[in-house]
Amino acid sequence: MKIDIVDYKGHLIITPSGDIDMYSSPELRSELMRLITKKTKALYVDFRNVSYIDSSGIATFVEGLKKMKLYGGRLKLIGLPEGIMEIFRFSKLDNIFEIYGNIDDAVGS
Amino acid sequence: METAIEIKNLVTHYGDVKVLKDVSFSIPKGKTTVILGGSGSGKSTLLKHLIGLLKPTTGQILMNGGDIAVMNEQEFNEVRKRIGVLFQGAALLNSLTVADNVALPMREHTQLEESTMQVMIRMKLDLVGLSGFENYYPSQLSGGMKKRAGIARAMALDPAFLFFDEPSAGLDPITAAGLDELILKLRQAFKMTFIVVTHEMPSVFKIADYVVMLDRGDAVFAGTLDELRASDNERIRMFLERRSEKEVYSPEDYFRIIAGD
Repeated sequence: MKIDIVDYKGHLIITPSGDIDMYSSPELRSELMRLITKKTKALYVDFRNVSYIDSSGIATFVEGLKKMKLYGGRLKLIGLPEGIMEIFRFSKLDNIFEIYGNIDDAVGS
Repeated sequence: METAIEIKNLVTHYGDVKVLKDVSFSIPKGKTTVILGGSGSGKSTLLKHLIGLLKPTTGQILMNGGDIAVMNEQEFNEVRKRIGVLFQGAALLNSLTVADNVALPMREHTQLEESTMQVMIRMKLDLVGLSGFENYYPSQLSGGMKKRAGIARAMALDPAFLFFDEPSAGLDPITAAGLDELILKLRQAFKMTFIVVTHEMPSVFKIADYVVMLDRGDAVFAGTLDELRASDNERIRMFLERRSEKEVYSPEDYFRIIAGD
């Protein structure tokens, strides 16, 4: 997995690519927590290049969301491929996370 | 059908006794395959080969791009991470809580943070209907709950292959039916390959997509449930119709055996 963090019109977008699994989740977690520790108001995660996510990846985002809620931050997930959306649905998390089709919709919400 | 595991010409012995006699069949990917057979048919021995606990005398077990029959311990460790097993007695460690039992493979094989593991443990336990039982010890659980906890542990690393050894053994019919429902639910939700060893026919008809039947060390059938029902193989008919074996010996043979002639 590769993780890029890009600035889109002043908004921080985390863009992982490849598999988010037991072996890559710790790296993703460390990037996520670094930004959360700074109390970043809104974080965007672009899933368009993510091919697979396992339960450790889901757990990482659950941890992130829990920490952001404590200071009123928002974690927004963008462009989830259908297979990954299915996993969020099955985990009953599709209504917990803010999920958007694209970055402009996410920024505008 | 895409193949997940291919067994080719598997032969194995316990001492001089040939337990598996040139067994060959394929297990389809993403389906539930039931390995069926009576006591002494070789099904538990076969399962032990599939999860790497036994090595065959000859033959191949092609899985995850390699032949696990000839892999060394280090090579098989990589395969092992992709395998989850529910053992017959659930095999939970009694000195650990349910949560720590589920965490065991994660702590052994990953570098995940403890906080991430705790979320995963709660997710796995919720999947098997054991939310809130994190701090219970195995001795405080019923037989069915132990099996569910065993499934949660087997799923700890999101395996590609999930093996069940006689999941209904020792359970009452209602609890066993509940476990079948759980297996069905998990199979529908995840794209894993399920391999279930059992001789419980109600379970077979409920959960199987594909059936392999072993009889006295031979694979006498591999196919769908409909094909199993339609089979005219005498041994399969006996199994399906719950008919007992005919007397093996004639009275004369029996006399010779007990008289020591």
